[in-house]
Amino acid sequence: MTRPAGIGGRLAAAARWLLAKALGAAFVLWAVTTLIFFGIRMIPGDPAEAILGGPGSQASAEALAQVRAEYGLDQPLVVQYFAQLGRLVQGDLGNSYSLRMPVSSLLGEQLPATLTLALLSLVLAWVVALGLATWSTLSGRSASLVSSGLEIVGAAVPHFWLASVLILLFSINLGWLPPVNTGSAEGLILPVVTLALPLAGFLGQVMRESMLTATTSPFALSARARSETEGGVLFRHSLRHAAIPGIALSGWAFGSLISGAVVVETIFARPGLGRTLLNAVTLRDIPLVTGVALVSALAYVLVMALSDLAERIADPRVRGS
Amino acid sequence: MSTPPRPARARFSTAVGAVSVAALLLTGCSTAEPESNQTSQTPVSGGNLVYATGDAEPTCLDPHVGGNYPQALVSTQYLEPLVSLNDDGKIIPWLATDWEEADDGLSWTITVHDDVQFTDGTPLNAEAVRANIEHLKDPETASSTGFLALEKVTGTEIVDEYTIRLNLREPDSALMESLSQPWLAIQSPTALERSKAENCESPVGTGPFIVDEWVKQNSITLVRNEDYNSPPADAGHKGPAYLESITWRFIPESASRYAALQAGEVDVIDNAQPDTIAAAGKNDSIEHLNAPRPGASNRIELNSSKPPFNDPLVREAFAHSANVDAGISSLFFDTAERSYSPLSSVEELGYEDPKLFTYDPEEANRLLDKAGWDQRDAQGYRVKDGKRLSLEFPVSTNQSIPAEVSLFEQIQATAKEVGIEINLNLLDLSSWYGALAQNNYDLVSAPYTKVGPDVLRILYHSDGIVPAPSGYFANLAQVDNPELDKLLTQASRETDPERRAALYEEAQKLILEGYYILPLYDQQNHFLYRSSVEGLRALPTVSTPTFYDVWLNR
Repeated sequence: MTRPAGIGGRLAAAARWLLAKALGAAFVLWAVTTLIFFGIRMIPGDPAEAILGGPGSQASAEALAQVRAEYGLDQPLVVQYFAQLGRLVQGDLGNSYSLRMPVSSLLGEQLPATLTLALLSLVLAWVVALGLATWSTLSGRSASLVSSGLEIVGAAVPHFWLASVLILLFSINLGWLPPVNTGSAEGLILPVVTLALPLAGFLGQVMRESMLTATTSPFALSARARSETEGGVLFRHSLRHAAIPGIALSGWAFGSLISGAVVVETIFARPGLGRTLLNAVTLRDIPLVTGVALVSALAYVLVMALSDLAERIADPRVRGS
Repeated sequence: MSTPPRPARARFSTAVGAVSVAALLLTGCSTAEPESNQTSQTPVSGGNLVYATGDAEPTCLDPHVGGNYPQALVSTQYLEPLVSLNDDGKIIPWLATDWEEADDGLSWTITVHDDVQFTDGTPLNAEAVRANIEHLKDPETASSTGFLALEKVTGTEIVDEYTIRLNLREPDSALMESLSQPWLAIQSPTALERSKAENCESPVGTGPFIVDEWVKQNSITLVRNEDYNSPPADAGHKGPAYLESITWRFIPESASRYAALQAGEVDVIDNAQPDTIAAAGKNDSIEHLNAPRPGASNRIELNSSKPPFNDPLVREAFAHSANVDAGISSLFFDTAERSYSPLSSVEELGYEDPKLFTYDPEEANRLLDKAGWDQRDAQGYRVKDGKRLSLEFPVSTNQSIPAEVSLFEQIQATAKEVGIEINLNLLDLSSWYGALAQNNYDLVSAPYTKVGPDVLRILYHSDGIVPAPSGYFANLAQVDNPELDKLLTQASRETDPERRAALYEEAQKLILEGYYILPLYDQQNHFLYRSSVEGLRALPTVSTPTFYDVWLNR
């Protein structure tokens, strides 16, 4: 393994990495736009009707014609497609059919709520997963069995079910937390827990495995030979080892959080991208669906790049390759 | 054979479960005799009420645009129509004080109050009404419900400052009923001149509340109109509303909505599901308001345009194969009452005939044999000319609640016992309309809300088979019966109440005896509210709740 010589070499490598990521991101965004543009037209439903109050509206011929002309829906599909690509390149996401507002300002309103939810859930999932992994490594076989059981249950539980159980327990029976969003920090607890627990199950399984591998590896043995305590071995060496697959998975995890947000935002009546997407699909609001998908794809690409970077920092083996 | 129209009893709100005597009195009387809407307690002014709706969030708060039920629910609080209905289904004054039909039926003269102002200070007058009629008929508004309701109106004339004349293409016995609907409410002409986007965001009316703020996907804030002076003739009090404000929240998930009500986060919820209503019956602090929607009953339409339902015998056989009553009592926990009419039980002119729709598998078998479906295939389904007796049943999951979908599954099971196969397809709204537009259905259930029996003309006149430009058509049973067409056209022009009632009764007989539909129950419209909410009632027009008389007894 040879390290790139000098600071210039390292900068060039970084630039290459950045360029590859940027090209990859551009491709993903184009593919998402194209898939949605044609995909949403393959399912029944006329966008002009979506604009006029939803499917099955008894809109008059005049009203439909008016709307088709106003939104360019009377143009051939290919013309509409390139017109949309052209607008997107200029950063114009268009106007929502159903809410009659610029998509960019709608996304601006909804994005912070979903990001807060997803990031807090990611943090909580990490804390729970690391906690379980550490506990099962330190406390032997029975702890390991209990935590692997919890992880399997956690990973298998659907958000919908978990949310209902949490509401029943903490809102109805105990009366500790509000069952729906109230705008307060308290209202965030149940949604965050709902999203975090299944994810913690996944992350915990992977982390525990690599932590166990690490505690039995030669470097742990030599650390013990230097008369380090078990705790010292764990916190100084194994933890870092366990974190690496967790970091690699976090990009994917973030994507799953965004899709989980569709369910959680609906159940807890929270504003956000997930609920926006659900409404937009039902209403065949093409610009809004495209907007939400693009923003989610962009967030996904960014988080993937970040977790790639974090993995490079935490794991010297990846850096050289 | 004839069953008299049912009395207005069905309109009573029902308080389920153990409730205090005072509350029982209040809910029992609130819709029947609003004048006696007084308990020993004096209403207290002030406070904020939180309403949680399960209906979709409107995309525009002006119900002229499009015109659906979610818009009607919220706009009832800030916009007012010209007239309302009382509990006997009679037209009563609201913004209008007088109305009169010309002798030839080709025009109506309507007079409005001379002392009412919109909340932006614009006075209510004949010009304002004209601006609203023009707004509804303008293609740019993209009105659908209001546009259809004013179909026969050709123009307006200003008679004097507060009197307007509507000119008609032909007599319209449903005009005043149409004008009582929230989709035809009167807005400030000054506000209507703003851009469509602005008017959708904050429509301006004469109502007891004012739209203050709309945070998309979260809530609408309504504040009290301190100068309010235009309640409908059957309201419980005069002057401004008791409530200081209303927070109108969107909570799509029904279990969350009920949880929020139980936790006291919200005061009133709509779209309460049968299991929730049953559960709420055991809860002392929660009460129930049952306000069936007007217009058509919830019914299964039998597509008579193609085999096998072009044969009346097969339609009759299907009706006898369905064990609807058992399904309703087990799945709806007795919160829904069986209907035997094409019209809602709140419609005065509704006609029912329970004898036609008995569950009778033997009779179904006999009819199917007689119709030539006398062979069976390996799976026990009936066969004729090598074709299985198989029915397509697309179901919209946006319109059919889970209990209703389960009821369809039970109908599927009992139909199988006589050898009829039913393929249930659960679809989202757009795909569902797609299946209908392609005539790819034999059975379908579609709600239709409208004030008055003229809904029958929309649903069963052969004109309703011709699709609108959007592919939509209302006559889903595809009834094409010249005799029925004639009755429905005559009835829509007939202004003599008795002759009109007789015509609609004849029409309903033809629809029921032709087995074009299988009536199920009224269009369900259940509200649950905390017992601290006093004076809640649903308007007798399209059964939207009004918060004008509501006060908080905390």
